[in-house]
Amino acid sequence: MMLARVADSLYWIGRYVERAEHMCRLSDVMLNASLDRNEAAGQVTRVVLAAVGDDETARSDDPYQLALALALDRDDPGSIASSIALARENARQVRDQITTETWERLNLIYLRMTAAEAANGFDEGAGAFLHDVIADLHLFKGAADATMSHGEGWGFLMLGVYLERAQLIGRLLQVCFGARRPLDDHMALMGVLRMSCALEPYLRRFTADVQPDKVLDFLLLDEEFPRSMRFCTARIEEYLRTAAHHAGGAAGPERLAGRLRARLQYADLAELHDAGGLITTVLDECADLHQSIYDTFVAYSLEMRLPA
Amino acid sequence: MEYGVATAQERNPLEAEGAPAPEPPYDEMLTAHGQVRGHYAAFHQRIAALSQAEMSERQRTLERFFLLQGITFTVYGGESSTERIIPTDVLPRIIPAAEWARIETGLIQRLRALNMFLADIYGPQQILMDGIVPRELVLGAPSYRREMQNLYVPHQAYANVCGSDLIRQPDGEFAVLEDNLRVPSGVSYMLANREASRRTFPGSFREARVRAIDRYPDLLLSTLKSMAAEWRPNPQIVVLTPGVYNSAYYEHAYLARLMGCPLVEGRDLVVHDNMVYMRTTTGLRRIDVIYRRVDDDFIDPLTFRRDSGLGSAGLFNAYRAGNVVICNAPGTGVADDKAIYAYVPEIIRYYLGEDAILPNVETFLCREASHLSHVLANLDKLVVKAVGASGGYGMLVGPHATQKEREAFAEAVKADPANYIAQPTIQLSTAPCLVDGAIEPRHVDLRPFILSGEKIVVTPGALTRVALRKGSLVVNSSQGGGSKDTWVLEDEPAGAQP
Repeated sequence: MMLARVADSLYWIGRYVERAEHMCRLSDVMLNASLDRNEAAGQVTRVVLAAVGDDETARSDDPYQLALALALDRDDPGSIASSIALARENARQVRDQITTETWERLNLIYLRMTAAEAANGFDEGAGAFLHDVIADLHLFKGAADATMSHGEGWGFLMLGVYLERAQLIGRLLQVCFGARRPLDDHMALMGVLRMSCALEPYLRRFTADVQPDKVLDFLLLDEEFPRSMRFCTARIEEYLRTAAHHAGGAAGPERLAGRLRARLQYADLAELHDAGGLITTVLDECADLHQSIYDTFVAYSLEMRLPA
Repeated sequence: MEYGVATAQERNPLEAEGAPAPEPPYDEMLTAHGQVRGHYAAFHQRIAALSQAEMSERQRTLERFFLLQGITFTVYGGESSTERIIPTDVLPRIIPAAEWARIETGLIQRLRALNMFLADIYGPQQILMDGIVPRELVLGAPSYRREMQNLYVPHQAYANVCGSDLIRQPDGEFAVLEDNLRVPSGVSYMLANREASRRTFPGSFREARVRAIDRYPDLLLSTLKSMAAEWRPNPQIVVLTPGVYNSAYYEHAYLARLMGCPLVEGRDLVVHDNMVYMRTTTGLRRIDVIYRRVDDDFIDPLTFRRDSGLGSAGLFNAYRAGNVVICNAPGTGVADDKAIYAYVPEIIRYYLGEDAILPNVETFLCREASHLSHVLANLDKLVVKAVGASGGYGMLVGPHATQKEREAFAEAVKADPANYIAQPTIQLSTAPCLVDGAIEPRHVDLRPFILSGEKIVVTPGALTRVALRKGSLVVNSSQGGGSKDTWVLEDEPAGAQP
């Protein structure tokens, strides 16, 4: 049993920290690629812009300016700084529900990102700056895992993390492989793996043979890699059960989550003619699940719940 | 002794010139002759051995602790917003055991009488019939809530949480400057300051044998529980906050976390059939006790202010129906009204047959003609306060005001005398504070916290508020004040002098 508003805030903390971490990787890979003067650099920049939904409205095509805005622009609600500020604001609203260790980590990241010196820090070494933010976010998740009770609230926090991750990776795959001509440049594919923090696990499974269909297979259907969509949907189902356990089950969202997990668990890329179609279906179902969670746990109608 | 800047006597330039000097303030650490008082001796020795750099380092440690904990307020400006910590001084203020014992019994006596006073005026009104307190002063006060008339309050505990402001007068005696019976705040700073001073002065802390204050959340929880004990052995208790934009939000979340109670906002509450529920993930859950940190005016738009979105519609009716307890009870403000304050010694005598252990500060009620003429003739020596205002607003500090300010204030007082009281300018005591790396005296007051439910208990500690600006007597955080930890000692060190 927890306040509906609190469950909602915990869920959004999960979403925002995951979003911030993902954006850090996109920026970092884009900046790194821009150091090489080749075709891949342009492709990577286009992939990143499309993945953050800025391909139409980008104000600049200079990767450094793009990365700077993506990192620190507080006017952009999708920037890393904005995501962290929103996560921290939600954490402040439920400060009584999260442990001090967890709060301190998040507050520290927030203080660094919003300090006057943040822009200087980015200027002096964008790579190191983004790397530090990612490491801090890992510390936050580690502190939460190690100190918070793994009950209902934890379930909502992790639901936010994995639902957001599934959608972010889904969006990235849609951009890279959903088009008529999938991404096939070796360096660009390496970039996509780096954006998903998947390079080393991929190499261990498929060796340095980087092929579009294998990259897609890995990021969409790998059972063990924590950023594959299949892995995410399995966790979503699991954490939904943790969260709903106290509510005595929640039929709506649980059905959606089970179907989503099964869809990816039993998919076979070799049989699939339209990978883009599957990705789109999965993304749509993630959006439905998000709405269903909100309707079931947070914004339910009072008439149904009043004591007789 | 070394305050570096001035000795106790030198701090009074007026005296040297032969002008009629006000009595010099009492200093918490030094006697008038510049000797270190017994209960400060060990601590003084420790800090005297520290270099300026070491002191500043400790101040930084403390500030970092506050920043990391999020004990901050946000300053919005231009491009970005920045987080500022509440000004906090690193040097603790020390109170010996015997002095504390007197404060404690005085506070318990006072709150007992004030709770009896509230039970009386919201009940038979015997004290008004006996003419001890003027009827119109009580019934005409904006903080008097006729909705509370004849409403059952368990243990007659109206003010479950009370934070009284004490000052130490030049003669060394503590006096009560103000009672806070509505929604007093600051207790989280008392606890956070302690957390910080254990880190900054661990050695001194251990050596001094400071009385623990950690049980405050637990005592608060028992107090709240005792308010529902008659009808529910295991009540659902919540803390009601106006929300994250309230300046005391940190405290609301802090107390909820340490008591293990949900922190709710008005929008989480639903009143149905005179029962109060909160919206949880599993549906509606009934609430028995609300520790509300929302002012009377805002708790229920149906009963009080209609434009309030901070409370819950129907809450007061649920309270009247006896289905929920609101702590503090609505309407307690009438007993900490600045005009009623003048009658508290009488109130104590009336209900308890005792003299007040902690005296009041001399107070002139402008509603009485003789007092009014005295006040107007002595505006340059008095502090004049509007009865309804709090937090250092709506007041004139005569000696520090310009002639023009005094004249303007005199007009306001003449226009509505009943709305003003006046008190002599009191030299608050001074305590050593770290200012730009040097130790200097600054004026302080003392806000202890008293809990009343089935019993009345005082936590052996307090928030010491500091006027950080040199010479300033205003300690309110909204007016440039800060705070510091307060060490109440277990017992006197051997061979101590009072």
